[in-house]
Amino acid sequence: MTDITQSMSRRVLENADDARPEGIYPPTEEMLDEPVDPELRKAQEERLRAVWAEPPGWRYWSAVNNSEVGAWYSLTAFAFMLAAGLLALLMRVQLAVPENDFLSADTFNQFFTMHGSAMMFLFAVPMFEAISILLLPAFLGARDMPFPRLSAYGYWSFLIGGIFVLSSVLFGIAPDSGWFMYPPLATESEGPGSDIWLLGLSFIEVASIAAAVELIVGVIKCRPPGMRINLMPLYAWYVLVVGGMILFAFPPLIAGDFLFEMQRSFDWPFFDPERGGDPLLWQHLFWIFGHPEVYIIFLPSIAIAAMVIPTAARRPIMGYNWIVLSAVGTGFLSFGLWVHHMFTTGLPSLSLGFFSAASEAVVIPTGVQIFAFVATLMVGRVRMIQPMLWIAGAVAIFTAGGLTGIMIALAPFDWQVHDTYFIVAHLHYTLFGGMIFPIIGGVYYFYPFFAKKKMSDRLGRWSFWLTFTGFNLCFLPMHLTGLKGMPRRVFTYPGDIGWDWLNMVSTIGAFVVASGILVFAYDLLRPKSRQPLTERNPWGGGTLEWAHDIPDPGWGSRSVPYITSRYPLWDQPKLLERMDAGRFYIPDAPEGLRETIVTSAVDAVPQHVARITGPAWCTIWAAVFTGGAFIFPTFHMYPPAIVCGILAIACVIYWLWTSTALVPEKPMKDAGLGLRLPTYVSGPRAPGWWGVFITMLGDATAFASLIFGVFFYWTARPDFPPENAVHADPAFAGLAAAAFAASWAATRIARGVNRSGNVLTARLLLGAAPLLGIAGATALVLAVWWPGLEPATHVYPAMMWALVVWTCAHVGAGVIMQGYCLAGSIFGKLTPRYDADLWNTTLFWHFLVVTCLITAAMIGILPRML
Amino acid sequence: MLGPRESSLWHMISAPTIWALHFCVVYGWTASVCARGPDPAAARLGIGIATAVALLGIAVVGWRAWRQWDYLDDYDYEHDGPSVEDRREFLGHAGWLLAIVSAIGVIFVGMPALFIETCL
Repeated sequence: MTDITQSMSRRVLENADDARPEGIYPPTEEMLDEPVDPELRKAQEERLRAVWAEPPGWRYWSAVNNSEVGAWYSLTAFAFMLAAGLLALLMRVQLAVPENDFLSADTFNQFFTMHGSAMMFLFAVPMFEAISILLLPAFLGARDMPFPRLSAYGYWSFLIGGIFVLSSVLFGIAPDSGWFMYPPLATESEGPGSDIWLLGLSFIEVASIAAAVELIVGVIKCRPPGMRINLMPLYAWYVLVVGGMILFAFPPLIAGDFLFEMQRSFDWPFFDPERGGDPLLWQHLFWIFGHPEVYIIFLPSIAIAAMVIPTAARRPIMGYNWIVLSAVGTGFLSFGLWVHHMFTTGLPSLSLGFFSAASEAVVIPTGVQIFAFVATLMVGRVRMIQPMLWIAGAVAIFTAGGLTGIMIALAPFDWQVHDTYFIVAHLHYTLFGGMIFPIIGGVYYFYPFFAKKKMSDRLGRWSFWLTFTGFNLCFLPMHLTGLKGMPRRVFTYPGDIGWDWLNMVSTIGAFVVASGILVFAYDLLRPKSRQPLTERNPWGGGTLEWAHDIPDPGWGSRSVPYITSRYPLWDQPKLLERMDAGRFYIPDAPEGLRETIVTSAVDAVPQHVARITGPAWCTIWAAVFTGGAFIFPTFHMYPPAIVCGILAIACVIYWLWTSTALVPEKPMKDAGLGLRLPTYVSGPRAPGWWGVFITMLGDATAFASLIFGVFFYWTARPDFPPENAVHADPAFAGLAAAAFAASWAATRIARGVNRSGNVLTARLLLGAAPLLGIAGATALVLAVWWPGLEPATHVYPAMMWALVVWTCAHVGAGVIMQGYCLAGSIFGKLTPRYDADLWNTTLFWHFLVVTCLITAAMIGILPRML
Repeated sequence: MLGPRESSLWHMISAPTIWALHFCVVYGWTASVCARGPDPAAARLGIGIATAVALLGIAVVGWRAWRQWDYLDDYDYEHDGPSVEDRREFLGHAGWLLAIVSAIGVIFVGMPALFIETCL
């Protein structure tokens, strides 16, 4: 037992006058043994129940709690998956016999494009986010995610965007250029299909990044006291890695979408070779996203296996450290593989060599975790519980898909089978084995936690065997179909060249898979009101989610426990009893506020009691208007899009102003067990600061992708910049750089002087900073507009304009944030003591000023040197 | 922000970060030299130098991680206890394993330059 104030160093000096945790940590056994007064316990439970109750009646839809949002999210993703699966079945009907005319070529094109796009963007990635939102707080004994309204916003954005994109199939205007939308086919494609894909999915990508931010902050800051980084459930490790991957994988695609849509809408020729563009840039940006995406899908699903296997084997996982290695190693190496989708594009063979080698190297970490799972099963006393069946099937199928992966990672083999059904077979083996099977296994395993009821064991086995047999019947023959030369994406084929029976078998298999999935869907959705509630820990698991309460009182965790083991329910005998009694941290809600505990990133030392947001409509409105801002441009309706954009910003500002970084009623509160924690922190100890930091890492990646574009054109094209090109004006560019630097400095200084109590100076600085930002943006636009750079004439002026547009949009956000802080200071929301908003704005500007200076250099200096 | 070595996630991932930097350098170098030259000898030499530098960096990181793991002290490799020592050795162990994987990755990525003598 130590005094917490002595054990924590004061790393950030400017925070020295902040409230610090006070009292005793860690708790002693005697303190934990002290009984809780039954009267008090009852009163606490009532208060907690009232605070965490889901809103009644139609207000239910304003809920933001992770259990509601997570459930909606996963059911929506599942519905989209069924729709995308239906498209696949229709395609299989078309391909069952040669020369079939069940679907027209055009419809077939739309179907395979939507099948791929929906499975990837509307099912696989959102499903990870949905399940993590549902499960992560429970794994961590937390009350909720750190930013519940952000999850809700992400969900509603996903729902709107998903319905928009998917419903285009019904009107026959769906995208039809393949799920990777290669130009020039996609740029030249008639109708709004490509725009629907670009804008609809960009909107969903933004929601994905929001979820990634939330999940990373959840893992880093919302672990229970004592759960050091080496005790974290493996699922949390995978979430951390995958969240990081999303931050570096999705932004290149967003940057690509930005360029692509500029070409579609305004004819800026990024991918048009006649005007200096290059269609290969899209392929690079797409696959820098696309290959990590495969692992973004695979890792969280295999993480479910890492949770189910110890329970089935009735022992801790073997090689925890090795699995961490595997997750982190795969996360990194998966970014060095993207060109293996582009082996046939004529890159230098030396480059092909790197990507081929890196593709083989990633097998090592991927394989390590599979061996760790097998080892756990070998040394454990395995009970073949029903979810374990799905996990076993997953490992078998994924391994088969991995083996064909090794084959096609070799460039010469890939040249033979590129764009044939061999690839279709390979990718479905990896995705079914790496995603569908573990997810369904996970649903069976966690269903008693989600719904407090059980799914049927018998139906589960039926579903498994139908899906497993059907899957192999459908996709195993496709290897041969591919080797016999049948190309992907053809709507029909001639008879008697040896493909007929293989296709027929695949079609039959597809229907068997569908029947298996339908049995699962029935089991999942059938009414279970007459079924008894499940026991608390039906599988005998050791991790914290099985400390849930039945029936669900909504509070997540009755009290936030002190953890000393990887499997607390197995190793900490009195844990459950103490959690239920409210013996641990924050067992009460005397202020009537939703709270959770925030701990330090590595050692999980309690730092802060975070007040988190409750039910709200503004998140739905924000999502609706954001949707409008993305959907109207699809049909070239720009004025309503701009109105929607402004309204979306207004909704977000209202949401932030009314519910985040509120001045607390008292600076410290009793968190239980003799520990007093601050109710408000700013800077790196606050979850919000981490949220901004992580978002900006993603944003910086998107910007880096644009810069990559500039250098790509420079290496790939002899005419970049073209001879006698008009260059941007260096004086204006320099002026812009100076103004941006001054705006940044004013913000940073304002934070310091505000903290030291000189509020008036801080306000003056915060008043000047946005003006400087606007001046900088104006100068930047003048730098390209004044000399007359015409973006539609050549890719060089287009790229310079793209950098300017990107930077000015960000400056717009930065200016709004400075104004928000100024308003906060004037209306008493931001004080010398409570200054989290100013910390976050400064952090945003740190990133922004780098973007601004690089843009100024890229347009003003660099082209003259190339 | 990095924090002290034994309690920092950033240090744990420094070896794969070197792998990533090496990958970017090798890819960018080859693309520019082969597109603007083409000069395969310069491409291969640059790759060789980058690979040697990266391996050296990973060796340093790996050695420090090995020291932090401190395996030979107590032959402990599980690190599932609730103590500072467990956490320190865990991060060392994970960092050490990542250094091995990163070194393999760097060697794999550098190897094509040994065999391929052309930019085509």
